[in-house]
Amino acid sequence: MNHRSSTPDVALLHRWDPRLRIIALLLLAFAFSSITDLRAVPAMAALTLFFHTISGIPVRRLWYKLRFPSLLIIMLAVLLPFAGGSTPLFNLGPLTITREGLESALLITIRFYAILILAICFLGSTPILQTIRAFQALGLPGIMADIALLMVRYLEVLSKDLQRMRRSMQVRGYQGRNCSWKTIRTTALLTGNLLLRSYERADGVYRAMRVRGYGHGTHPRVGFSATITDKAALAAVTVMAMGLTWLG
Amino acid sequence: MHIPDGILPLPVTVGGYALAMSVTWACLRRINQREDPREDIPKAALLTAAFFLAALIHIPVPPASVHLILNGLLGILLGPFAFPAIVIGLFFQAVMFGHGGLTTLGVNAIILGIPALAAAALFRILTRGYSSTPGKVSACAFLASVVAVSCSVLIFAACLLIGMPAHINASVERSALTILVFSHIPLIFLEGLIIGLVAGFLFRVRPQVLEGL
Repeated sequence: MNHRSSTPDVALLHRWDPRLRIIALLLLAFAFSSITDLRAVPAMAALTLFFHTISGIPVRRLWYKLRFPSLLIIMLAVLLPFAGGSTPLFNLGPLTITREGLESALLITIRFYAILILAICFLGSTPILQTIRAFQALGLPGIMADIALLMVRYLEVLSKDLQRMRRSMQVRGYQGRNCSWKTIRTTALLTGNLLLRSYERADGVYRAMRVRGYGHGTHPRVGFSATITDKAALAAVTVMAMGLTWLG
Repeated sequence: MHIPDGILPLPVTVGGYALAMSVTWACLRRINQREDPREDIPKAALLTAAFFLAALIHIPVPPASVHLILNGLLGILLGPFAFPAIVIGLFFQAVMFGHGGLTTLGVNAIILGIPALAAAALFRILTRGYSSTPGKVSACAFLASVVAVSCSVLIFAACLLIGMPAHINASVERSALTILVFSHIPLIFLEGLIIGLVAGFLFRVRPQVLEGL
């Protein structure tokens, strides 16, 4: 399998060997998470902006992916400035905003968004199967790779089954809006039925796979190949990550 | 109970990864000792998908709603497969939804995975010896799930205690964590009830699905 697309408009970031891209993502993510000095923030922001630019992901799509995870971090960012510190900046009624609180809120918020945006840019446009194969090439055990591959298939199946069962229940008058024994029991039976139906399907799939030779012999060799440019890019990211860790 | 990126310091996240990799290695070693290590892969994949989707199943608990975690169920149904399954589920939740984090993958795996293994061991011990009935299986599964979710909440609170910024007023931090722990009590019992009922249903219809039996 060749990871390079034959179309000329593949974003620059996605022409990178997926294995090296994953390593670069983890190096940068950990480097970002180690930053405790606000002076390193512009460098972190610049790197994030750079990788977003070369990923080709539209801002609107990025924002769509960020909105749900933002809820918790925004709550933290609002509360942390009031949570204590030794250098008061100003008062809001009975509450005091401290410099340490404000710095923590800023650092946590920026680190969170920088790492999440990197993850979306590096992996968001990569087909899931390719990501799993890349991890396998990096040493992910075969059993876990197989679980991941099958899980992706079952996500679709389970989602459709869940939707269908929910619709059937609604048609029969079930609302599930209050916390009652009926709601709990119905949720349990829904979950049990969903699992059982899918388990029987999974059992059949496994037997079909075994009959076709699954589990005998080695895993197929995945066809990634890294160019000199790919390796140079990883070396550059490693230097950047080390620099950020030292600076931060 | 997923800790996002950017909150925990580097030593904690790296330590989380190291511990999670060690536990994964131990679980895979246990799995490879089975006669057919691959036999339960479809079941593990299915439950990983269920764990992934559990965040979408909301149960009303006034004034808000909670979503199931299902780590107790994974432990009861998968045994040693539970930990690697949770690692995979957490990775996809982080990458696809931003739920949890990449640097905190190891820590989140410990928060949810170790209690899942504890639930598996407890369920196996409780159902051993005597002949099982649906009621007994439900009660054992309820207990195992309550222990799993309780342990997850406590480990989660401990990680936040270690990882939160040092400047935070100690009493504020203590109050916040106490509220966090107590606010999960409805979820602990709700999930225990649901898992107990699910296990009883599965025992009646297809008992071989339950790993501990």
